Amino acid sequence: MPDLGKLCLAIALLLAIYSIFANIYGARRGRADFIVSARHALWAMCAMVTIAVITLWNGLLGSDFKLEYVASYSSTTLPTVYKFTALWGGQQGSLLFWTWLLSIFTSIAAFQNRRRNPDTAPYALAVMAGVAIFFLFMLNFVTRPFDLLSPVPAEGSDLNPLLQNYWMAIHPPSLYTGYVSSTVPFAFGAAALITGKLDDSWIRSTRRWAIVSWFFLTLGNIFGARWAYEVLGWGGYWAWDPVENAAFMPWLVMTAYLHSVMIQERKDMLKVWNLALIGLAFSLTLFGTFITRSGVISSVHSFTQSGLGPYFLAFLIAVVACYTALLIWRSPDLRSPAEFESYLSREAAFLFNNLVLVGIAFAVFWGTIFPVLSEWVRGVKITVGPPFFNRVNGPLALALIFLMGVGPLIAWRRTTADRLVRSFAAPVALGVAAGLIAVLCGIHEWYAVTGFSLAAFVLGTIVVEFRRGVSARRHMVSEPPARALVNLVAKNNRRYGGYIIHLGVLAAFVGIIGSSFFKMEVKKSVAVGDSFSIGSFTLKYLGLDEHENAHLEQATARLAVLNYGRQTTVMTPAKLFYKRQQQPATAVAIRSTPFADLYVVLAGLDDNGNRATFEVFLTPLVIWLWAGGCLMAIGTVVVMWPNVRERAALAVAVGRGRAEEYAGEAAPGGGR
Amino acid sequence: MDTRIRPRFLIGSGLIVAAIGYLIISSIRSTSEYYLTVPEVSARAPELRGQSLRIAGRVKPGSIAWDPSTLTLKFAIYPIPPAANSPAANDPVRPVVIDEAPSFNIVSEGEPKPDMFAPNRDVIVEGKLERDGTIAATQVMTSCPSKYRPAGAK
Repeated sequence: MPDLGKLCLAIALLLAIYSIFANIYGARRGRADFIVSARHALWAMCAMVTIAVITLWNGLLGSDFKLEYVASYSSTTLPTVYKFTALWGGQQGSLLFWTWLLSIFTSIAAFQNRRRNPDTAPYALAVMAGVAIFFLFMLNFVTRPFDLLSPVPAEGSDLNPLLQNYWMAIHPPSLYTGYVSSTVPFAFGAAALITGKLDDSWIRSTRRWAIVSWFFLTLGNIFGARWAYEVLGWGGYWAWDPVENAAFMPWLVMTAYLHSVMIQERKDMLKVWNLALIGLAFSLTLFGTFITRSGVISSVHSFTQSGLGPYFLAFLIAVVACYTALLIWRSPDLRSPAEFESYLSREAAFLFNNLVLVGIAFAVFWGTIFPVLSEWVRGVKITVGPPFFNRVNGPLALALIFLMGVGPLIAWRRTTADRLVRSFAAPVALGVAAGLIAVLCGIHEWYAVTGFSLAAFVLGTIVVEFRRGVSARRHMVSEPPARALVNLVAKNNRRYGGYIIHLGVLAAFVGIIGSSFFKMEVKKSVAVGDSFSIGSFTLKYLGLDEHENAHLEQATARLAVLNYGRQTTVMTPAKLFYKRQQQPATAVAIRSTPFADLYVVLAGLDDNGNRATFEVFLTPLVIWLWAGGCLMAIGTVVVMWPNVRERAALAVAVGRGRAEEYAGEAAPGGGR
Repeated sequence: MDTRIRPRFLIGSGLIVAAIGYLIISSIRSTSEYYLTVPEVSARAPELRGQSLRIAGRVKPGSIAWDPSTLTLKFAIYPIPPAANSPAANDPVRPVVIDEAPSFNIVSEGEPKPDMFAPNRDVIVEGKLERDGTIAATQVMTSCPSKYRPAGAK
């Protein structure tokens, strides 16, 4: 079986190489037959990679330890679901998984564009095949998933216990999907530059891909944060670790891109900027992989130096250099006739939102690579930790939230003072009121007060927008309010889906402020029967239960939790010990309410469990971060939902393209 | 017609960029800390006194004292031998090295003992170098074995 996997990867590499040449030759000479053949080669490549993935899964599920990968990341006692997810638990497997996603997305893009974009699609597909070649080269020659072990071990060394968790089962696939799907808009941007077809057709035909990418990047980040919160047991969810930053930067740039393309679609401005942004987003996905695999930057999750770094760096530099050269070459054609007219215009708000988002991305980038730079320049490794990121990004986040409220309410081109007052009077009043209430409640941190006040202001603007839309519908078609609301969102899903995403961002922002500024922490070692308290809660250590199976040992502490003296619940934080890896892990107990999370860690056991050390956090509002993540996901689904108007437009475009394709198929040697 | 952005927009954008740049520079100044190894700290001990440091070292066997009732953890760290990033670093039966190598005593108070804390584990200690040469730790992190650890760990 392993030979089958190897063979498939080799064939896939050849197919990818062939499809580049066939695509480019076909496009240059107008040979539709070659373009069709290149498309089929990409589909065959996808089939080959799929077989390789199934082969590896087969090895993992069957505990086939003659495969080095299986022996390293699985074991006979590993629960089946984690045997399945071990595909992305290790380096070779995750690169294979990445390549698989890339080949699937390339195939879908090839299918979508079999009639559309006849000028640019071959080049875009060639770019995607080029990216696939890099990954397939790695899989064939550098980090091979089908290497064999001899002698064959009797037992595998198991998946890292920290990864034996359902969030870790879904976090990498969503992040990778987000990473990889950014390749499609990038490839079409590159194709636009190559062919000189620089109108916004590359943006329009990859708009949904960009949103899909953003959707999965959002989910990936949220799942990762949730995993850190539940599994790592330090009471937080984000530590500005290089690995986290690597996932956050593409998200920021993609967010900027999704906003600025609206300006190009509407006003035909910012063409260079949009092309640069999508290039940056794609490069950052490679950069993220580079820093996590190279060991250049020390992370608490110290990824071992795996020798992959130089390859990724070389590929990254090649991509950035080629793309920049293309941009410079085409820059004379990218001038746009329109211009900014007023600060009080939506495009100005979007421009500033873009600057702030890219600014945050740059600050994160700078802080992440600062240790390396300082070592090069000054010979001393200087690190910046969470305080740096919080100090820089705190104020920028406030600016971003403010712009989020302003942007949607002001008109394109320019707004009159009169309209401004009418739109903003109510939201501003709400914001001021929220700020005052916060101060009266005894909150003194200026940041928290400003943050809550701004959040209320933006909430006000969103409510105003919904109300305006609903009342307009009720006047025009006299619907009951609920029906009007549903129809409003359904008919204008891009706009109102966007507002739902904004609501999600607000909720997450409030959650972040609450959990960053008002967290309480108590660390205490207590004997059985003793109590201690945090906030309004009192916790009493009742005793320890021990439990063991073939896979792990578990010691579970029982704690009676009293809120204002009333028995509320029993919480059971535990310590686990994974036998195969000889590694301890923590199972945190969390009690969530809309107001605060009570988060209990069993940090240590002494004296045969008669004494236990607990680390307890009371984290206000943190649940709103997760709720905000859900809202963002729901909003994105609303945005992606195909609506009638768009489908009609698409049908027209496809109809036009079909005529051209028929012309191509009729050419000698056309078709299959 | 070439100008896509009027001068006053350039001014506005420039102000934003300058503000972001200023934020980054000033924050780097005020939050950076040295990331050093044990030999580097011992070589530059006088000038580092009182500074915030991050030190990478390995837990010295026999030096660990843990008092659960006060959550006080005392131990010493010694230099991580070269090629320490190899998986062998996690091997508890690896032979112990060097007595004459520089080492530092660490005192951590009020923090639970990290899960993976054990003799010969690699740790990153955050804290201040005190006058008496000990390090008052605010945080002790065990570098967790990478999720992409190659095979070979026992």
